Amino acid sequence: MTEALEVTGNPSRIRDKALALIPDGNLSACLTCGTCTSGCPATGQMDMDPRKFLRMAVLGMDETIERHPWVWVCTMCKRCYDVCPMSINIPQLIYDLRAEWPREERPKGILGSCDHHIKSCGGAMGVSLEDFKFTIEDLAEECREQPGFEDLKADLDREGAFFALNQNSREPVTEPDEMLPLWKILHTVGADWTYYSKMWGGENYCMFLADDPSWETIIRTQVEHIEKLGCKVFINTECGHSFYAVWQGLQRFNIPHTFEFKSIIEYYAQWIREGKLPVNADWNTHGIKFTVQDPCNLIRKSLGDTMADELRFVVKSVVGEDNFIDMTPNHSMNFCCGGGGGSLQAGFTEERHAYGTVKFNQIMATGADYVITPCHNCHAQVEDIGHHFEATYHTVHLWTLICLSLGSLGENERTYLGPDLAEYGL
Amino acid sequence: MSVKETLGSVLIAGGGIGGIQAALDLANSGYYVYLVEKSPSIGGVMAQLDKTFPTNDCSMCIMSPKLVEVGRHLNIELLTLAEIQGVSGEKGNFEVDIFQKARYVDMDKCIACGACTEKCPVKVEDVYNEGLVTRKAIYALYPQAVPLKYSIDADKCLKLTKGKCGICAKKCPAGAINYEDTDKTLAINVGAIILSPGFKAYDPSGKDIYNYDGSPDVVTSLEFERLLSASGPNQGHVVRMSDHGKPKKIAWLQCVGSRDINTCNNAHCSSVCCMYAIKQAIIAKEHDPSLECTIFYMDMRTHGKGFESCYNEAKEKHGIRFVRCRVHSVFGQATGEVGQIIDYLDETTGKVTREIYDIVVLSVGMEISPEVKALAQNMGVALTPGGFAKTDSFNPVATTREGIYVCGALQGPKDIPQSVIEAGSAALSAGASLTTARGTLTRALTPVQENDITGERPRVGVFVCHCGINIGSVVDVPGVRDFAKGLPFVEYVADNLYSCSQDTQDAITKVIKEQKLNRIVVAACSPRTHDPLFQETLLNAGLNKYLFEMVNIRNHNSWVHKDQPLEATIKAQEMVRMAVAKVALFTPLSEAELSIDQNALVIGGGLSGMAAAKALSSQGYHVSIVEKDQTLGGQAAHLFTTAKGESIQKGLQELVSDVTRDENIDLFLGAELSEVDGFVGSFHSTITQKEHTTSTTHGVTIIATGATEYQPDEYLYGKDPRVLTGLDLDRKFIAEDPALNTVQSAVFIQCVGSREPGRPYCSRICCTHTVVSALHLKEKNPSMQIFVLYRDIRTYGEREALYQEAREKGVIFIRYSTDDKPVVEDGGEHLTITVTDHVLKRPLAIQADLLTLATAVVPYRDEKLAQFFKVPINDEGFFAEAHVKLAPSNFAVDGVFLCGLAHYPKPVDESIAQAQAAASSATRLLSGKTINTSGNVAAVNPALCSGCGVCEAICPYNAPSLITDGRDAGKARINPVICKGCGACVASCRSGALQLKGFEEGQLMAMIDNI
Repeated sequence: MTEALEVTGNPSRIRDKALALIPDGNLSACLTCGTCTSGCPATGQMDMDPRKFLRMAVLGMDETIERHPWVWVCTMCKRCYDVCPMSINIPQLIYDLRAEWPREERPKGILGSCDHHIKSCGGAMGVSLEDFKFTIEDLAEECREQPGFEDLKADLDREGAFFALNQNSREPVTEPDEMLPLWKILHTVGADWTYYSKMWGGENYCMFLADDPSWETIIRTQVEHIEKLGCKVFINTECGHSFYAVWQGLQRFNIPHTFEFKSIIEYYAQWIREGKLPVNADWNTHGIKFTVQDPCNLIRKSLGDTMADELRFVVKSVVGEDNFIDMTPNHSMNFCCGGGGGSLQAGFTEERHAYGTVKFNQIMATGADYVITPCHNCHAQVEDIGHHFEATYHTVHLWTLICLSLGSLGENERTYLGPDLAEYGL
Repeated sequence: MSVKETLGSVLIAGGGIGGIQAALDLANSGYYVYLVEKSPSIGGVMAQLDKTFPTNDCSMCIMSPKLVEVGRHLNIELLTLAEIQGVSGEKGNFEVDIFQKARYVDMDKCIACGACTEKCPVKVEDVYNEGLVTRKAIYALYPQAVPLKYSIDADKCLKLTKGKCGICAKKCPAGAINYEDTDKTLAINVGAIILSPGFKAYDPSGKDIYNYDGSPDVVTSLEFERLLSASGPNQGHVVRMSDHGKPKKIAWLQCVGSRDINTCNNAHCSSVCCMYAIKQAIIAKEHDPSLECTIFYMDMRTHGKGFESCYNEAKEKHGIRFVRCRVHSVFGQATGEVGQIIDYLDETTGKVTREIYDIVVLSVGMEISPEVKALAQNMGVALTPGGFAKTDSFNPVATTREGIYVCGALQGPKDIPQSVIEAGSAALSAGASLTTARGTLTRALTPVQENDITGERPRVGVFVCHCGINIGSVVDVPGVRDFAKGLPFVEYVADNLYSCSQDTQDAITKVIKEQKLNRIVVAACSPRTHDPLFQETLLNAGLNKYLFEMVNIRNHNSWVHKDQPLEATIKAQEMVRMAVAKVALFTPLSEAELSIDQNALVIGGGLSGMAAAKALSSQGYHVSIVEKDQTLGGQAAHLFTTAKGESIQKGLQELVSDVTRDENIDLFLGAELSEVDGFVGSFHSTITQKEHTTSTTHGVTIIATGATEYQPDEYLYGKDPRVLTGLDLDRKFIAEDPALNTVQSAVFIQCVGSREPGRPYCSRICCTHTVVSALHLKEKNPSMQIFVLYRDIRTYGEREALYQEAREKGVIFIRYSTDDKPVVEDGGEHLTITVTDHVLKRPLAIQADLLTLATAVVPYRDEKLAQFFKVPINDEGFFAEAHVKLAPSNFAVDGVFLCGLAHYPKPVDESIAQAQAAASSATRLLSGKTINTSGNVAAVNPALCSGCGVCEAICPYNAPSLITDGRDAGKARINPVICKGCGACVASCRSGALQLKGFEEGQLMAMIDNI
């Protein structure tokens, strides 16, 4: 039997701090009802769960939790907070505890990404602006060789462009061809857009690192630069956490701006409705089945079910109503895939995979051939757990399918398609 | 300002069980009642329920007699489809503006034949069945509705919305349809108002967490109640609504819309959901024993009388699984197959476990509708932050506006018995405010002249009841009816869908007169509940009410032989034949009229006893209080504050001073009853105070003898001065003991002596008391560490706010189990209390300066008093009331009432409410001045009596005695007023001199001969 814990006279520093700093942060109000834990995919990882975590805080076991690595396994997906009957903000507690770690002791992957981002004033992978510029120009050249895209424009810092678009570093660095479908879409609808040069990387590992000043620096720099360019709309690419980092950052750091901040998915839907993006599901003659992952950051944590409905409108328009199978639960109730909160870089791979079993089972229950992941972290995690658990589904961004449907998906832009679609429309 | 005349009338807003009970109490004690009901018929939510916990009585069956009594009461005026718009004036003379929607059916003409409904082309969601099925635009709320009059849903009717159709007017044989009917506003002047609008069930639609909108297999508990009900949409067969498939697994999710400030704004506990979920699970399992029932909960709150044993039986006998986890959410399966997914935290493994259920029942809580809140505000009735009516613990049903009272859910979430108690309390309070006008507005019944049937040949009428499908689905009711037709002396037969409904009663009255029937047999349900109803029908038809026999073909046939319909029908026919043979031999019986002595005796001078005495005195009656101690106050003398923070000492002192000064109240302190004789209306008691004895005569008796605190022999109690009981701690609070200020660490242990094998009940008050005490300690020293070691926290109703406040202020609650109880050791400077934390599963060692044991409330088990008044004591030692649901403050013995801790543990507000309810029931009797006793009493044939005295020895009620003089000296006689008709003397009489009227030997032999 474990030795009895002496509890008298241990006022909990963490509890008191949460009470003082976090709205909805009275941890003592916890009913120990289990709501959070029964809905949390991180339950049981490292023998920890949200309820236990809170309990330790309430009982003053600060030493156990103030450096507990579980804070890096929890993805702060907010599924617990949404339903907690006492409305206790557990994700914020996790964030604040991450912030208490000495910076250098935080997971190297996340820390390094944040530092690269700040140092390069570009993105988390530390790519220089010159390289990014070169990649854009080179790719644009290549794209203009494809029929129908002779006039395609992709540029950087063009003043007066209507849209400013962010770009996650992953594509220019590791899979530049994945950038083209989105450009083609923007070209097809005649969008007037530009990339911006300062803090152009959409990702924000400083947020995952719980490094507020760095998170703020990234967003503020972006915002000020885009304001200078005079863009009317700041579009976030198919990425959940980058959306949330801006959406939340604008409020959290009270950053003045005149542009509108939107997700590209909202525009996909609008352009389809306006007929500018003439997608249809005629190509899906074999009834290939698709499901979609609702990114927590984009749906539950920010834009909610309206956004989830828009996402489904786009997906169904592209793959066909009958070929879409929703995961359950979905919309704001969806489970986090396990790739959020920086976990892909946090180094706790075994825990991340275990966390991902919930998502994996959810996907397998649909029987879908493809999982559409309009989010970089979801994409990476869903792809990874698919390999890890030896499933045969494929993981794709929406842009791939939109271009497939439009007949404009190039030969090199098919990395994530399965053999069934590898040749389609070429 | 001119003083307005005090009016002897009361308006009651809301015709649920609370409003009904209050109406009957008032109308039977000299006040004219307007019962205002929003829907077309009274009955409220109780009318929708299948069975009621913990006894599983059929809800409609126990309620129906009351509905009918209200419907036919001379001094109750029903205003249906009506709502209060505004109130002006003041206590004694209010003017109430009422808005009454048009019914479009003339109530005087409608004969409730249903021809209109049958042909109505418009289907509308059936609100009575919680929208699970449809009804028509012209409808009666439910088959036993009172008044049983149809009404038109103006929003849906084609004629009223589009000017088309008009079929119902053509089909109505009575010409009752009136499309020109208009909404009305009326102004009514009354002396007092009682608000009993009831609750609104929490609506889970629009909340994605429960998948309620997503699947028809996720239902609310009220919907499930309709699914369980034989009168519900599936005739009581529980099915998945999605595909009508038979369920194998059902889950209940507790606290949906309760104890939640996130997904809804209901911080309170709804008090009833734990018990109704247990009840529903038991009934569902009774329907299908192979069913797997699981209840997911946070704290199981079975704090009412008989609830804990019901909970234990649910686990042990019925195999219902209880899982302690508030589940995160419910969702369907991706491929759309049936089955709802529930993930829950399994506390035994610490893992999330997934299960799939055919049906998920959401145990939805109670809330007050925005309309009712607005009305309350408009009337100047203040509400609590939770939206319930603000009341004072010492005046539990008085709202903040004088002359306006409240009962039922608006006063706070509560179950049926508590609503009934408050109804009595509200009736008493309203009546007490109008005593000068009592009887000024009521009308007296003109008794129907009883026809002399002497010498008439028996003409038997037989009425066979379908009870909807309750009987009709098993027993061939028309077959029984036709069989009866051929029996000797039977002149008339009929079958009725619901014999107890008011229209059927009226029809029977008419038939008796037309057919000149002089003996009646009703084959229906239980005479225990329905005898008085049919007897009154006989009276209305001018027949002696004892010319009636009831056959219970529901309990004895359709229920027990539901799988053998043919045999059940044959048995029903045999039983009807026996009844007809018996009834033919009946003769009219007479009842003794008894005058009611206008004095009352209250036994017990605690809070309840004093409140009851004061309540009776306020109605103008003289009361004697007998208190065993030298001072008044009982347990309240040791209590610090109520849950609402009022000083109990202050409230108690006021009450003591009121009672002491009251000229209508005689106090007997240091006294006990040494002898009791007599019966309702005329009890003779001897009060003994040391050497001194006083004899008193009283028409009614209220037992308010209280209970005591359990003295534990565990946890170092009595061995270490730092270990206290809850009352010990309160004494220190009252004394402002400075030692409390220096406590650094305090621990409370709950359920000490409660919910244990020897004392299985929950003591109801201890969780709230502990939480309140913890808050008092926190107030003295905010940095004090406080730990509460508990099994389930049962801060029911709005008391939940205190539990929340205590947690928010840092009180730590640790749940222990009975197989791993806390260990208390004397650690020298501190007490060391070791307990296993329920979340971490590891032992915690708490160093405490103060340990308070929340000990059980223990009844006195006063066998002597029980003997004196022939009232029962239950297994747990509390007095047993007449009916746990509908007569919680009455005994089965007439003229004896019950309140306070002697009934069951309860806090101050509930004790006072019950004291007033007991006083209200007593007032009904006292104000009637006389009552009639039963005609079914024993009688002696002196010619056969040998005077052996066995009857005298055997009678539990002292009814027989031996005549001392005159012609029959030495023979026995029965005092018909005392005789309860039990038959013990009859059975024991060796000479055959005794007969029980209505059960005479010849009558019983006739029955046997006809088997």
